[in-house]
Amino acid sequence: MTDTIIQLEQVVLEREHFRLGPLQLEIPKGYISAIVGPNGSGKSSTFQLLLRQIMPDSGTITLLGERVDDERGELAAKKKIGYLPEEASSQENWMRGKDKADFVRYWYPSWNVNRYNELLRLFEVNDNMKLGKLSKGLRRKLDLAITLAHSPELLLLDEPSSGLDPISWKKMLYVLQQYMEEDNRTIVMATHIMDEVKRLADYIIFMANGRLLGVYEKDELLGNWHAFFLKEQDESELRLRQLPGMERLEAVGGGFLRVISSEARAAEQWLIAEGWSINGQQPLEMDDILEVLMAISR
Amino acid sequence: MWIPIQINEMSAEPLYHQITVQLRALIVSGQLEEGTLLPSIRELAQQLKCSIITIRRVYQDLEVQGLLRTRQGTGTYVARVDEQERSRHRLQSVVTAFEAAVDAALRVQCTSEEMETILREVIAARQSKPTEGREADR
Repeated sequence: MTDTIIQLEQVVLEREHFRLGPLQLEIPKGYISAIVGPNGSGKSSTFQLLLRQIMPDSGTITLLGERVDDERGELAAKKKIGYLPEEASSQENWMRGKDKADFVRYWYPSWNVNRYNELLRLFEVNDNMKLGKLSKGLRRKLDLAITLAHSPELLLLDEPSSGLDPISWKKMLYVLQQYMEEDNRTIVMATHIMDEVKRLADYIIFMANGRLLGVYEKDELLGNWHAFFLKEQDESELRLRQLPGMERLEAVGGGFLRVISSEARAAEQWLIAEGWSINGQQPLEMDDILEVLMAISR
Repeated sequence: MWIPIQINEMSAEPLYHQITVQLRALIVSGQLEEGTLLPSIRELAQQLKCSIITIRRVYQDLEVQGLLRTRQGTGTYVARVDEQERSRHRLQSVVTAFEAAVDAALRVQCTSEEMETILREVIAARQSKPTEGREADR
């Protein structure tokens, strides 16, 4: 149905204090996928693996149809990729924004100078300043402009909004939306800002402790996970074990139970059919879902 | 373009359904006139904080129902709705809204009498107030 733009097969990265994988993952083309997970879950390492900045100990990676285990495949794929790393490189501190743009332009034949200038104007950044002298937010915006100016097919954004003020953040959302208006564009972004995920993402990839917890369609995930508040009854716990999609049950005081289901519609119908009265019902926030999934995977 | 669709995040009703019902109502009521260019799928998804998968489904379904028209490369437009269709659709969105209200009432064990009383009170309250804002926009 949907084309795959990134494919990871049994990718493993071993480090002394950290193990990533095995990652088995397919990311669809034409959508925005958000990789969501707490610090140290392996989001940035995954990006570095995709770009061959670090090599996996085993497994294969396919990017835009090219296997990136040789130089040719790597180069072919990279021309079509825009990558914004988590941290700006301090090795570039001596450069002016202009110098960096010139350098990047050299490598990307598709560089669009009008688009670049347009983005600088929108973000209100000046590329005459030395990169080391720019504030974190200004530098982020400059790097974002450079990343977008060669009209890549695939954008890899690692914590794109870090350091941005709320107004710049909104501009970034607008720019990314505009970017996606063209056919066959894909964004993969790592973030832990839930509002960003809600506004942008189509698919959510949950990661924790170097492992993949699951890939979900956003609206389906958020629509399926609800908390129900019920009045405690005799043998409540035993009976509620039958609840469709039952994930967690806890007493919340005042004789009430809070029960979390990952199959909200079926759970609601089941509760009504079983004669429970539902005193409250709430969709779960994304970070609450992540927390439950992390607890289960432990 | 901003489309007046309000998502109720607390509702168990799937997003897809909420958006379809409201967009259909906007079209059949004539609030969105024939030929109006709708926002792109990505734009509406961002406005409503949902995925393009959902919006694409909504547009496709309303297109199948003859309420929307997609022109390759230019976008999605509101189609012509004939009078018969309009009156049929007109009540449908109201029925759906009442169903949701009744569900909410049942959740707190309202009796039929209570519901009817509430309904009469709401109608009376609305009619006693001069309608402002929403009506003036038309």
